[in-house]
Amino acid sequence: MAAITQLAARPPSGADPNARSRYRTVGLGLALVGMMGAVVSVIGNFAAAGNIDATDSYRETLAWTFGLSIFSFGVVKLAIAVILMGIVVRLWFRVDAIKGSLATLHGHGGTRAATGTLKTDWGAATVTDAPPKLLPIHRLARLMWRPMLAMGAIGLTTGLISSWVWADKTPGTESFRQAAAFTQGVEFLGEALLLSGIAFLLGTILAGLREGGGEVQSSLGLPVTTLKMPATAKAFVGLMMMGMMAGIAQFVLYLVQIGNADDPASFAAWGNWLGPFRELALGLILAGVVLALVAIANVLAFQFDRIKSIVRTGA
Amino acid sequence: MTTTALHTAPTKTPTTAVTRSDGFNVVGSDTSLGYNLPQRMGRKLWLPMFAMALMGWTAGFTLAIIEAGTDRAEVNDLQTLGHLVPGFMFVGFLGVFAAITFAVARILGEFRTGGGEVQATAGGQVQTLKMPATAKAMLGFMIMGMMVMAAGVATNFVAAGAFDGTNPADLIDSAQAGAAASGLRRLGVVTYLTGIAFGLATIIDVLRFQATRIREVAASHGHTH
Repeated sequence: MAAITQLAARPPSGADPNARSRYRTVGLGLALVGMMGAVVSVIGNFAAAGNIDATDSYRETLAWTFGLSIFSFGVVKLAIAVILMGIVVRLWFRVDAIKGSLATLHGHGGTRAATGTLKTDWGAATVTDAPPKLLPIHRLARLMWRPMLAMGAIGLTTGLISSWVWADKTPGTESFRQAAAFTQGVEFLGEALLLSGIAFLLGTILAGLREGGGEVQSSLGLPVTTLKMPATAKAFVGLMMMGMMAGIAQFVLYLVQIGNADDPASFAAWGNWLGPFRELALGLILAGVVLALVAIANVLAFQFDRIKSIVRTGA
Repeated sequence: MTTTALHTAPTKTPTTAVTRSDGFNVVGSDTSLGYNLPQRMGRKLWLPMFAMALMGWTAGFTLAIIEAGTDRAEVNDLQTLGHLVPGFMFVGFLGVFAAITFAVARILGEFRTGGGEVQATAGGQVQTLKMPATAKAMLGFMIMGMMVMAAGVATNFVAAGAFDGTNPADLIDSAQAGAAASGLRRLGVVTYLTGIAFGLATIIDVLRFQATRIREVAASHGHTH
């Protein structure tokens, strides 16, 4: 448990900033493992496509390839999460390095900004005497990424096992349809939770940038200039929340679909829109991820400009 | 450190080779190198790709609702829609994964440009990481992922257009195309995702280098008052 809480934690003083990141190594290894799993499932898909006949037995193959491919996507997403943890740790090394360096690199003679609000090339910013507190969404992100990743991994593993049960059923039967619905629902629930964990990790990075930026400026005795939450970050939160709720809703709806498994026509009609709906749920979270990355780029550009200003003028 | 002139093209910032003992593969220059080509593309293209994603999902989900309401006896319509829906949904995924990759490139661009500008402002030689292998892998995976996923989507669209329901063999052809397209689309997804992992790993490399470099600049150009 202690090891889990130490994941992505600020490195202790005295940690070697030049050491290679284990998160990077583990993350890239996991990504390649996930990719191999997906390749195996794709080969299964092609084999199934080549063996389609009137017996419907190819559907058994498509059942396990579905389970394996979605599980493999999850493994790569977990890899991405591990690498993001490495970025969180590295950002703290960056804060320490900049703080120590600006203590000797800062310029002189600049006029300090008055406290209040000012406009910058990267959006509105606030100037305060002390580092600003984290926003509620930052605190939530730091709290939630671990449980989201854990629950996502459980959902995906359950889905993988369920896909084997699905593949073992006779195509066209009620139990085959029931297993199909449960597998799809639980695996995409796992995917949605994993992606939400990634989104919360991106929120944790934004929190680190905000906290670290404040720490650097206040350590130099300067007023702290901090970007206000940009529109991209607000849209990120909205999209991520919508996607997560849709991800949970699709699982509930798949459970409802199981109740219609005795009626093939009704079951098929449900499946027609539930499939795209579950994909839309992931799409919304992914759209949020895009905006989070853009917000991070924006904050970085602002911070580099702030560092240059401190080096040039000391203010 | 040793330096030799490498590149003096008038349109680009002249760079010099720099040998470092800590394994970082860098070039030196007097000013920031700015954004490289993939980073400039990332800055310009993330938004159009994001918009494409939203449009693809809107079209796909609308068609899915139409499909769900279609009479089960209308085999022709059901088969056609059964291919169009995943086709459009994955036009959306193609767009969003490209947008994520471009956004990662954009972040790398801010590090490259900003890191160089900070060094130049401090008065030190600007050192910039050469494009790491992980960044090249990101670009390679992105291109492969895009092509494979586009092939899957094209397979769906071709199958949607080819089905006319007059021949019983059409149903088998349609199912075969569906299974193959699904495999291609999934291969595209995992390739894209792996590329994103490599792009994010590049950020770790850049952060590690920049934390080291700023300390070097402070040691050589800092003051004690």
